[in-house]
Amino acid sequence: MTMIFALLYREYRIRITSLVWMFFDLFMPLFYLLMFGIGLDKAFAEGIVIEGTAIRYQTFLLPGVLAMASFGIAINTSYGFFVDRDNGIFYEFLTYPMTRGQFLVGKIVFNCLLALIQSFITVATGVLVLGIPLQWSSLGLLVIATVIGTVGWFFFLSILALRIHRSDLFNTVLNVAYFMLMFASSMFYPLDTMPAWLRTLSHGNPLTWHTDVLRFATIGVGNPERVLIESVAFVVFLLVSFAGAVGTLRTAVVK
Amino acid sequence: MTYPAIEIKDMAKMYKTKSRHPVRALDGVSLTVREGEIFGLLGRNGAGKTTLLRILTTLIPPTSGSASVLGYDVQRQGLAVRKHICAVLQENALELYLSVKDNLHTYARFHAVPSHQREKRVLETMEQFGLTDHAHVKAMDLSGGLKRRLQVAKVFMVDKPVVLLDEATTGMDPINKRTVLQAIREQAHKGRTILLTTHILHAAEELCDTIVMIHHGRIVATGDLPSIKRLASNVFEISVTFESLTDPIMAALEMLAPLRLHRTRNTVELCVNGVETELLETLTQLSKQTRLSHVEITSGTLEDAFVEILGGPEA
Repeated sequence: MTMIFALLYREYRIRITSLVWMFFDLFMPLFYLLMFGIGLDKAFAEGIVIEGTAIRYQTFLLPGVLAMASFGIAINTSYGFFVDRDNGIFYEFLTYPMTRGQFLVGKIVFNCLLALIQSFITVATGVLVLGIPLQWSSLGLLVIATVIGTVGWFFFLSILALRIHRSDLFNTVLNVAYFMLMFASSMFYPLDTMPAWLRTLSHGNPLTWHTDVLRFATIGVGNPERVLIESVAFVVFLLVSFAGAVGTLRTAVVK
Repeated sequence: MTYPAIEIKDMAKMYKTKSRHPVRALDGVSLTVREGEIFGLLGRNGAGKTTLLRILTTLIPPTSGSASVLGYDVQRQGLAVRKHICAVLQENALELYLSVKDNLHTYARFHAVPSHQREKRVLETMEQFGLTDHAHVKAMDLSGGLKRRLQVAKVFMVDKPVVLLDEATTGMDPINKRTVLQAIREQAHKGRTILLTTHILHAAEELCDTIVMIHHGRIVATGDLPSIKRLASNVFEISVTFESLTDPIMAALEMLAPLRLHRTRNTVELCVNGVETELLETLTQLSKQTRLSHVEITSGTLEDAFVEILGGPEA
């Protein structure tokens, strides 16, 4: 645990050197919910029908925003590999007395805390200001889903960040991936209304799995059996990504 | 059972390249570093020194052969190896957004310096390396020399039995170099094993118990300083001051095909590979043309041995 705490301390020290950065990390999802959610809530005045129940759009969107927040934190953390590589510290890290797995886990621990705080801020504002009906009994599941989601996406994106050595190429790949993952998912709209081909794609998208679990945890919407399958699928996705990231890290020094 | 600090057996490393045949960076390297020894790894750029250090720090695996640190195999027991080493890599490696003090604190945490000792060690290290005045300056705002100094300071703050230094003094001014060389000596006295690569040959000459010269991935010379210098036993450093230095005298000196020649007014310093008696004969002949006010002949330095052994054109 010493190494995990050392990495947590390191990430914390770096993050607090830029409060602007920290502020936007914490409040960006909230801005998204307020601006995008309220805007589309007016456009979909009759609400969104999901599993036979009509709910307001901003209620529907809250879990999507939380999923996006986890994904965003994972992107920032994986981009940190490029910063570390540019600073040379990345290679030095690999000579420190820790396993490659500890290195990956340690890097995401602090950012999981950030993800939890930003989720808390977003959910609290959603409940108190927008009147989103939160399923209080599933708060534990919400915390777990936020952490698992952030970690899973970080491990997945780490594989890309460690394999791609140009930050501009990484940004391009990420933009394309982000676009496809977001819009072929249940983040912004219910899958039932989508064309069949997009629905099929979306069902195989880990972002859909993550969003569905978060939706079930926050507002209690979703088929419990499907959510369970999606939870298991996401954990498998996380484990495979972890194995892939550790393997990639073992061969990360190309020179 | 005691193990050598570092043991490398018949190690080879091939790098795959996209456009050409694989590059053989190391080719059958074997060496042993005893505990508490300062071991110098010398060679020209691209000789394979950094590759060797990367293997020892577990950054890359060897293609064949084996290497161990204090008995731990670098491939199979990477974590155990990393627990016993600290390294200054060739690249700058700092937390640029953190202050000097925070850089040291962070490093101390990673290397398990007990929390009650951390602050004291950090302060002592900053004092030793002249970083106290910069304690709260972010690493990104330091000069190149100070950055390097901070990077080197980190490894001397923690107690690891094996220290690996890759061109540690690059970019430092002479005073900082002195500080680092002194720190290396002190650490060796404490029993730490130090393996260093350097281009500063007088530093290696001053510090190292054992020297290995590596060329195109192969060891071409190994031994203590006197035995390495003996490999260049026909190399002499000559310093001659003439009463008047004429063109014919310069021409005569150039006939000796010096490895180096430097003229300052009437003084010529040259490094010559030749037979001692023939050199003396040449100087005697020159003394008949003008008075020699000063003559000094010394045997070659490590640098001369370096040039003699490794000085051929690059393949």
